[in-house]
Amino acid sequence: MDTAVNTHSHAWRFFWASTAYPRLSLYLSFCVILCFIYFIPTLEKDTRSDAFMPTDHPALLLSEKARETFGLGDPMIIAIINKGPNGVFNPHTLQLVDWITRQLENVSNLDPEEITSLSTENNIIGTAEGMAVEPFFESLPTTEDDAAAIKAAVMAFPLYVGTLVAEDGSGTVIIAEQIDSDKAQTTYQALLTLANSAELNSDESIHIAGEGALAGYFGTYIDADASRIVPFSALLIVALCFVAFGTPRGTLIPALVILATATSAIGLMAALGVSFYIITNALPVVLIGIAVADSIHILTEYYEAAAQQPASSPRKLAVTTMSRIWRPITLTSLTTIAGFFGLSIASIMPPMKYFGLFALFGVAIAWVYSIFVVPALLSLLKPQTSRAYGKRALGFRTNTPEQIPLGTLSASKTDREHSDSFAKAVSLLGRITLNHPRLFLLLGMFTIGAGIHGGLKIEMDESLIKAFQKDEPIIIANDVINETFDGSYFLDVMIETENSEDLFKPRNLQKIEALQSHMALHPLVKGSTSVVDYLKQMNRAMHADAPDAYRLPDSIELNAQYFLLYSITADPTDFHDIIDYDYRLANIRISLEKENYKTVASVIEYLNDYLQETFNDLHISAQPTGRANINYEWMQHLGEGHFVGLSVTLALVYIMAALSFRSVIAGLFCLAPIVTTVFGIYAYMGYVGVPLSVSSSMFAAIAIGLGVDFSIHTVERLQVLITRSNAVTDKTLMALFPSTGRALLFNFLTLASGFGILTFSKVVILQEFGTCVALSITMSFLASMILLPAMAKTFKPKFLSYDNHR
Amino acid sequence: MKQTHLIIVLISIFALPVLAQNLTDSNVNGLPTGEEIAAHINSRDEGKAVSRKLKIEMRDRSGKIRQRETMSYRKYFAKEKRTVIFYLAPKNIKDTAFLTYDYNDPDLADDQWLYLPALRKVRRISASDRGDYFLGTDMTYEDIKLETRVSTADFNFQTIGTCNAKGKPGLKIEGIPKTQEIARELGYSKTQSCVDNEIWMVRTSQFWDIKDNLLKTVTINDIEKIQGIWTQKNIEVENHKTGHSTGLTFSEVDYRSSVADGIFNTNAMKRGL
Repeated sequence: MDTAVNTHSHAWRFFWASTAYPRLSLYLSFCVILCFIYFIPTLEKDTRSDAFMPTDHPALLLSEKARETFGLGDPMIIAIINKGPNGVFNPHTLQLVDWITRQLENVSNLDPEEITSLSTENNIIGTAEGMAVEPFFESLPTTEDDAAAIKAAVMAFPLYVGTLVAEDGSGTVIIAEQIDSDKAQTTYQALLTLANSAELNSDESIHIAGEGALAGYFGTYIDADASRIVPFSALLIVALCFVAFGTPRGTLIPALVILATATSAIGLMAALGVSFYIITNALPVVLIGIAVADSIHILTEYYEAAAQQPASSPRKLAVTTMSRIWRPITLTSLTTIAGFFGLSIASIMPPMKYFGLFALFGVAIAWVYSIFVVPALLSLLKPQTSRAYGKRALGFRTNTPEQIPLGTLSASKTDREHSDSFAKAVSLLGRITLNHPRLFLLLGMFTIGAGIHGGLKIEMDESLIKAFQKDEPIIIANDVINETFDGSYFLDVMIETENSEDLFKPRNLQKIEALQSHMALHPLVKGSTSVVDYLKQMNRAMHADAPDAYRLPDSIELNAQYFLLYSITADPTDFHDIIDYDYRLANIRISLEKENYKTVASVIEYLNDYLQETFNDLHISAQPTGRANINYEWMQHLGEGHFVGLSVTLALVYIMAALSFRSVIAGLFCLAPIVTTVFGIYAYMGYVGVPLSVSSSMFAAIAIGLGVDFSIHTVERLQVLITRSNAVTDKTLMALFPSTGRALLFNFLTLASGFGILTFSKVVILQEFGTCVALSITMSFLASMILLPAMAKTFKPKFLSYDNHR
Repeated sequence: MKQTHLIIVLISIFALPVLAQNLTDSNVNGLPTGEEIAAHINSRDEGKAVSRKLKIEMRDRSGKIRQRETMSYRKYFAKEKRTVIFYLAPKNIKDTAFLTYDYNDPDLADDQWLYLPALRKVRRISASDRGDYFLGTDMTYEDIKLETRVSTADFNFQTIGTCNAKGKPGLKIEGIPKTQEIARELGYSKTQSCVDNEIWMVRTSQFWDIKDNLLKTVTINDIEKIQGIWTQKNIEVENHKTGHSTGLTFSEVDYRSSVADGIFNTNAMKRGL
């Protein structure tokens, strides 16, 4: 056993020196953990979806401008539904609307000036002699007749039908704008409390939804679920370590490295003031996976060495273990770091960038603990054999370790007889692979082909609604509102003209009207409102409510005079959410059928085509804004970012692998299982219909980061086995399976179950993410175990030292 | 010895507010009552008729400005007050005219008409509520109607102390609406005004909404004696809830030239100035 006894190697001497003061190392390691834990309470959560955009992104700036100009942001929508024969038009329900409207003025994060309901809005009506602007109800309706009169008035105002009240009168909405949309969660809770305190008849119900409620609730909903489920995943992984080694140290050492890795990455985030984003929830699981992988490989090597040299001193055993395993651990850490570095430089979204950077830091910490702290700890513990490796130790004893190299020895017949069932299972896989190498290579090629074919079918989509379970009140509210009204999701369009009062010009107003008509043709658009609708209503009122007068006035002066007329009795700020104060900017609010990316993208692209081809000219222009546009913008980057990130990550991992093995071909070998995995997942997504979303797009980076470890361990071990053997046969390659293969199997089982447990989350997004990552880990394990030996056997590459044997 | 000191200190601390309270009371006691001050304000001569240029500047919370220039006439017909406003600028609303008859009888609703030159039609406007905003400004119809006066029919006035009226000592009065209903109708739960007691004109006023939040502040910046009558030349109104504000500037104020009765009818509105 040349490596084992070569006490003069650099590695052996290095680890001998590093374990000189084991207690000091342990003491320091605990100090480091405590230091990082100290910072964790200062960690700030940022579950907003705006967090996915760089703060200076034009879409965010434009949306901010729209907010300042028109006071429009992410509204809360409160729908009051009455299933009775007269719908909401009865005294009790109308009084309820008025009561809620007044209560909303006292809800702290709501702008009292930005509450729209039947009890705040004015009616524009024609009288025999002119026009009057009057509230829909001046005093609270007390009789059925009052209610019927209000119904008649509202139903005669086209702008409000479908938006403020349901077409069939069964519901009415109150729209409340938030002052600070970051406080959406508490505002939503306050509204739920308010709704619960309302006195309802049996026919009445209150539902709360809207972009504000949704965006605020979404982040915390996922976050809460992830916080519940992540600790389970950690426990499961540690429990599997116990299954693998059957000893307390085989369980507690991985647990220590896990603790150090996860706390240091999260602690550093807190110390540097970086927020904990929605996707950061995946970080601990990823780090736990990486930390446990290093430990599993060290402990496998440790128990093998202990079985070979039961009489060895604790320190000598620890140093022997490390001198054999440091190289693959260092190589996997370097390639994983390269992978996460790729993710961080390729993504423009801050949460992803930070994900890459802190994952990278965690990997480095896991490496430091694995290389320095684990041997220090082992050097203090009495040598021990594992149940799992104890049996195999018998095998070792029948041969003198000094005579036969480890690799061939592990594969000896005697050994196989004494292997545990895990080792036997992996060996079986190895035998099948080595008997049909070309078949498996073909299967790999086929997977890539399917990935390309299936990948073309993948659609990009994201929906906040989808994150929630069907029985959540917000989902029920969302469905009710979308069935009853023109939808609760809006796309705002900001119209900009050259000079003040340009929006009085009939030409500009006609263009806005045409734009609204054009948008109405889109199947996913349910309606739109703008200043044009108010002008038509005023024009009709001034013509004694003649139906054919519901059209735009034809002179600049008349438009201006209508506004003056309106102002005779109305609040000076009445129109500020649709037109700016000097009549230069206007807002069109388009109601959308759904809030998901596909809907929004389709409508925005349809809008942009029209704006570019027909609408925009020297005097007037328009652009989409608001929440819908922000979501559209960042989702677009998600698609680009995914492919750029993937390419950069693959390139960096390739360079690192090629440098590590000092071979261009070795780099390709390491990449082959990962590429096959990525295409395999594309095939899965494409054929099953999983869209590319924030959560599923992360799989590639994580699959590469974790998956490359399987490749590196396999390639490294193949290299060692082939170099040490006299003649390369299937037997040489088979030696890979019961040792490294068994370690990788546990590595795979811990990771797959750690991520797999996410599929039990009640959040659909986490389920998808867990499935994709668990699937990628399974595939990269299988691809490493099957493709690499098959490729080695088929291509006999030089870097694996095949040349030496020719 | 030390204990005695402590007791004296404690007594002083507790007694101080009481003493201060007495001091205020005695101060107020020497001043005219709220009702007396209101009577002084309302008995001022406002002239039987007046013609003046009125420049209205309205600003929203982001600082954008709308400017209007008008020529306005006001004349008393016995107790009935008639006002007509002709818009001179901006161009798009030039020649628009607004006519109001305020009847002294509280049971009679005011009559209002608007002439829209673009339609070449005079339209009767349904009577405004007293608490409605006037032509997009931060003044309500009631504020406009009162001009420099205060309404003793709606409010109980009380003197609450002295104040600084543009550098001169003034009297501070507080008005509380007589009934809840009046408060709701006007939109005010309380007003406080600083009255210049040399000329009996309000210099600043503050208004609280019916939820007791400070709603707006009115400041009279420029008062000048014109043709023997103290005249407001600039009024600034700031709405604290909406961030909207209004500046009213009067010029070419004339109480002496006769204002023809015929200008206060719908035909005159169409003819224009």
